[in-house]
Amino acid sequence: MPAQVLPSESYAKNGVVKLTNCRVVRSDRLVEEDIWMSSQTGKILNGQREFFDSRTEPDETVDLGGRIVCPGFIETQLNGAFGFDFSVVPENLSDYSKGLAHVNNLLAKTGVTSYLPTVTSQPARVYQTVLPFLGPSGALRSPSIGAESLGAHCEGPFISPKRNGIHFLSNILDPASGISSLESCYGTDNLQASTTPIKVITLAPELPNAVPVIEELSARGIIPSIGHTDATYEEALAGINAGAKTVTHLFNAMRPLHHRNPGVFGLLGTAPSALAHSIDLGSDTPSAHHDPPAHETYTKPYFGIITDGIHVHPSVATLAYSFHPDGMIIVTDAMPFQTYPDGLYPAPYGSHIRKSGNVLTLEESSRPAGRLAGSSSSLIECVENFWNWVGPEVSLARVLATVTSTPAKMLGCYGAKGCLEPGADADVVVLKGGLERSGRKTLRVAEVWKFGARVHKGDV
Amino acid sequence: RVIIRQEPEAASKYIAEYVVDRIKSFAPRPGQPFVLGLPTGSSPVLVYRHLVRKHKAGEISFKNVVTFNMDEYVGLPPSHPSSYHSFMWEHLFSHVDISPSNVNLLNGMAEDLEEECERYEAKIREYGGIELFLGGIGPDGHIAFNEPGSSLQSRTRVKTLAYDTVLANKRFFGDDVSQVPNMALTVGVQTVMDAREVVIIIIGAHKALALQKCIEEGTNHMWTLSSLQLHPHPLIVVDEDATLELKVKTVKYFKSIETVAKSCGMGQKMPK
Repeated sequence: MPAQVLPSESYAKNGVVKLTNCRVVRSDRLVEEDIWMSSQTGKILNGQREFFDSRTEPDETVDLGGRIVCPGFIETQLNGAFGFDFSVVPENLSDYSKGLAHVNNLLAKTGVTSYLPTVTSQPARVYQTVLPFLGPSGALRSPSIGAESLGAHCEGPFISPKRNGIHFLSNILDPASGISSLESCYGTDNLQASTTPIKVITLAPELPNAVPVIEELSARGIIPSIGHTDATYEEALAGINAGAKTVTHLFNAMRPLHHRNPGVFGLLGTAPSALAHSIDLGSDTPSAHHDPPAHETYTKPYFGIITDGIHVHPSVATLAYSFHPDGMIIVTDAMPFQTYPDGLYPAPYGSHIRKSGNVLTLEESSRPAGRLAGSSSSLIECVENFWNWVGPEVSLARVLATVTSTPAKMLGCYGAKGCLEPGADADVVVLKGGLERSGRKTLRVAEVWKFGARVHKGDV
Repeated sequence: RVIIRQEPEAASKYIAEYVVDRIKSFAPRPGQPFVLGLPTGSSPVLVYRHLVRKHKAGEISFKNVVTFNMDEYVGLPPSHPSSYHSFMWEHLFSHVDISPSNVNLLNGMAEDLEEECERYEAKIREYGGIELFLGGIGPDGHIAFNEPGSSLQSRTRVKTLAYDTVLANKRFFGDDVSQVPNMALTVGVQTVMDAREVVIIIIGAHKALALQKCIEEGTNHMWTLSSLQLHPHPLIVVDEDATLELKVKTVKYFKSIETVAKSCGMGQKMPK
């Protein structure tokens, strides 16, 4: 079922749409200005140039009544939605395409205009079956597809058996033979540099051969992400130095912060070379004399964090943000049950997932019950949560960066996605902010535009 | 007519209300637009802000308004952030419902600059002249880029900028004098004087001498705005600071005109 593109009064002439009477997210603040975009090219236009050079009169002017105009949201970790699980192969494969189209259609209406469909630790045949469906889907630039895949996120199976979360232990692998271990799992074709459907692979850097694998993935244009890991600070740092660019759901499924071994979280601290230098102060051989100071090149990794209010305590989420505000990416890690009523739902391998409000837990006969099993929150809810957790010194524009410009920068597509500069894709979310009597700030999706066409208009 | 207001804000608001009033009473239609001359610079910024506010509040539409801007730098592309195209886009055009085909600015990138100036004058004539020319002045009393010494009968043409003007404008070019264009296209003094009404905003102590020269002394090409003395319907709106060099008698006189007019139930309306 193709997403319904809502009719506009007239697309006939030049397809230029002007959003007016709105506040536009520009880096750290909201600016009162108009957005010009083309439904023909699906891109944001330079309004001034259209006005003076082409003397363009927009076909359609949309008065947004002071609402907020934000780049379309980018979700980097979504396991499934609306009853469809990216990791489950149906009996009839055509049902997979249908399910995917259904998700894309509905997901766009929630404000998520591009995302990484995420596959958890599965047997090789699952990856090799589903990955060809999950690659980048934006080439057609068709608004009717709905949310656009920017490539798949393979979360596992090269992860720590100690930090598996709810990933099934029997699926977890070691990259014992380096990249060829990955090729035999995901499929050689799926790891070809120019054609890979995979954008991000979450793996544990402390596993044997993980470091050379990270280097090789980087070289092939796949982004290695540190996660589901028991790594010490030093092991995590080795992963970053090898090319890992980001961290998968910081704090969850990893060694917790300890003040003598900060683990992955330590990567958000001071540049490691600066620390090494201060540790060296007392030693006889002042080292690093000839080496260029590495802290000049060290960049802290990006990090995903689940702000559903259940996976990470609000104070810890804001703590991480304050250490590296430009690196934080809000993710849902959502399972397909968002819209389901509370109850017990069958999961693979004879286990069950219990949904109780927004809390999902795994119930298994062989294991103590109660492990968190991903979220059932939407991205807008997670953003709203975080907006309420930070102080007034963090502007709404900065909060929105965690689901727009920051993930786009992490994925290397900033400029086309994650911003509203001329030339960027016209993926736009119109938001309405509000204030409840309790003092809680609210954020609702009012409209969604994909490639310059309106694909959703809500009643807020 | 000189209107004096305590603060720049109040002076700007007065002008915005005046312009809105004039457009409304003109009742422009597609075949009969209101032709408005417009300035750039720091003084009009507040006026534009008020006009935009009034547009957003639904008080005024620019659908049937045609605009002619006073000037533009030579050799600066319209997309340059310091071009007067960019200024007008940022402060007015991007916020109101004006049609792009009704907006006229001189093209400082034209191959034949003289031809561009002639074309501009011809286009103004085509519209039957300018109804209201809004302007500001420089500290040396220049209107548009009609620097001291410009002919009071001048028309739209290429002008070399006075050194003071280059210095005054370097703040828009990263404080680098070498980046400021040294030529501009500008409407002439006579082009402004031909408008049926001229409204000038003068804000700040640094413009006080210019105001004094232009209204208390003779018509003089060294203070080009002084030519306004010969215009049948001029209006100058100033803040208190701009009156610092005027005689107390002058200030009191103009204040009394406004008070008396108001008490007789006459605003500062343009006579029919």
